Amino acid sequence: MLSYRSRIAVLVFLTPPLLAYVVAVVLPIFQSLYLSLFEWDGIFDPVFVGLGNYVKMFTADPSFWGSLGRSLVYVAVTLVFQLGVALLIANLLTYATRGREVIKTLVVLPAIVSTVAIALLFRRLYSFDPPGLINQLLDFVGLEVLTRAWLSDLGTVLTAVSVPEGWRFFGIYMLILYGGLLAVPRDLEEAAKLDGATEWQVFRYVRFPYLRPVWITTTIMATTNALRGFDIPYLLTNGGPGESSELLTTYMYKTAFAHTQFGYASALSVAIVVECLIAVGLILFMVRKRGFTV
Amino acid sequence: MTSEAVVNRSAPSFPGTGALNLQRAFSQVIILLIVLVQVYPLVWILLTALRPAQEFAAGNPFAIPSVITLENFERAFAQGNLGHYLLNSAIVTLAADALIVVLGMMAAYAIQVLGFKYSRLVLGFFIVGIVVPAHVTLVPLFLNYRNLGLLNSYWSIIVPLVGFSLPMAVYLFQSFYSYIPRELYDAATVDGAGPYRTFFSITVPMSVNTVVTVVFVNTIFIWNDFIFANTFVLDKDMKTVPLGLQSYMGAMGSIDWTATFAAVCVTITPLLLALLVLNRAIIYGIQGGATKG
Repeated sequence: MLSYRSRIAVLVFLTPPLLAYVVAVVLPIFQSLYLSLFEWDGIFDPVFVGLGNYVKMFTADPSFWGSLGRSLVYVAVTLVFQLGVALLIANLLTYATRGREVIKTLVVLPAIVSTVAIALLFRRLYSFDPPGLINQLLDFVGLEVLTRAWLSDLGTVLTAVSVPEGWRFFGIYMLILYGGLLAVPRDLEEAAKLDGATEWQVFRYVRFPYLRPVWITTTIMATTNALRGFDIPYLLTNGGPGESSELLTTYMYKTAFAHTQFGYASALSVAIVVECLIAVGLILFMVRKRGFTV
Repeated sequence: MTSEAVVNRSAPSFPGTGALNLQRAFSQVIILLIVLVQVYPLVWILLTALRPAQEFAAGNPFAIPSVITLENFERAFAQGNLGHYLLNSAIVTLAADALIVVLGMMAAYAIQVLGFKYSRLVLGFFIVGIVVPAHVTLVPLFLNYRNLGLLNSYWSIIVPLVGFSLPMAVYLFQSFYSYIPRELYDAATVDGAGPYRTFFSITVPMSVNTVVTVVFVNTIFIWNDFIFANTFVLDKDMKTVPLGLQSYMGAMGSIDWTATFAAVCVTITPLLLALLVLNRAIIYGIQGGATKG
């Protein structure tokens, strides 16, 4: 096994990274768990309330349930782009004969733009007065009935703050799925086609089963990322108008840093972690249940 | 490249070619549409930045600017303290990148190359960090910084950025190190190299490609970080690029949009250049990422 000398070497190499990780990530998680048992405004002495914050969250705080629900809508809209459209385009791209390399680079471009710049951009795109790009486009194709102030209309604001998130990482997920599709054996597809399978059947029974491992990874990545989505809704509407675009993350942030309820905010942040864990568990459960027959 | 050529689906050898051509044309239109949706907003940012302010106010967003002007860029630098934000972001990005690479290599070396009894467990401990939401650390870090007097410092942003990037970095380095043949290390040991010399003479030089991937991915994350900077930095002089851009958003109605988008252009440029220069490595890195894992 290890000599005494390399046992010291393990410590020398492992301690600094472990320390950085523990200080920045692990310790704060436990601090949050601990803080969530108190009521504290950050100035006066914390008051121990046991599980009081969690009881309040589940039974006496409609804002919590509301923002949880809106977070799920946010995830759904994001996934339509990052999984649905991404899978469609990845498929179509395998049939493309020209320009594949250029297309791959172009669709990834939004991923390097900061969320603040994206929020600035979409604020303009959604603008009603002066008319932004989207309203002008609707006007141009004769759908002026649909033009509206997307970010102040209660019916559209939640979708409007979700779309930019789906848009910006669409390219990344499309590329990952495309990479997965490249791994599908070509002769298998050919054989299926010779047996008279339609393109849809080839996709359904040959390509997708092969794509499964990649598809699962992508689903987990996209879902947990969307559950953590914060910047764009916070910057575009800060949860408004009213609470109509408030997500669990923006609600937690406000509770902590606008209302300085550090104890309750910690309980909310623990809920965000639990929500991510449940999502991963649920995805893996569904995968297992459906087995390997697809 | 060969795998690309293999899936080239031109020249089908069975009947029904007419319908297939129609399908192909249709799918190309859809792809083109998506590319437009992904790229046009960015092109629009650039056009806006180059457009005279009056023309933008009147503006048809699809029109090419009548005159190309750099005035917006001048105003962006003059009003917004943009140079200072860029400097702050550069400092934070360089420091955090360096730490991530060094610490990531060290951890992966200990786990994968040196090896020890609970190395898999430690690896798992790091990897779990990939799914931890940043929100759960905000309140504790804020309070810790306040106690230590670290709010409004570069460190206050660097520490969580490094902590949250380490899991992925450790994972990437570790999986690369698992491909380095054992014989190489055995040879070094025979030559009398200890664990430290082996690290510097074999592992580090071989890691260059992975370093490029890790640095690029993390630079995007760090350069664009909003949540940590927004929480821990309140002082105007310590603001990074994203916070600086946010200050252009300012009060309702009075936004100098053309200058704002000029500033956006400036802040995107470093990452855009990196993406274009490292294009192939990055695109194939993402594309292959999920299949290798």
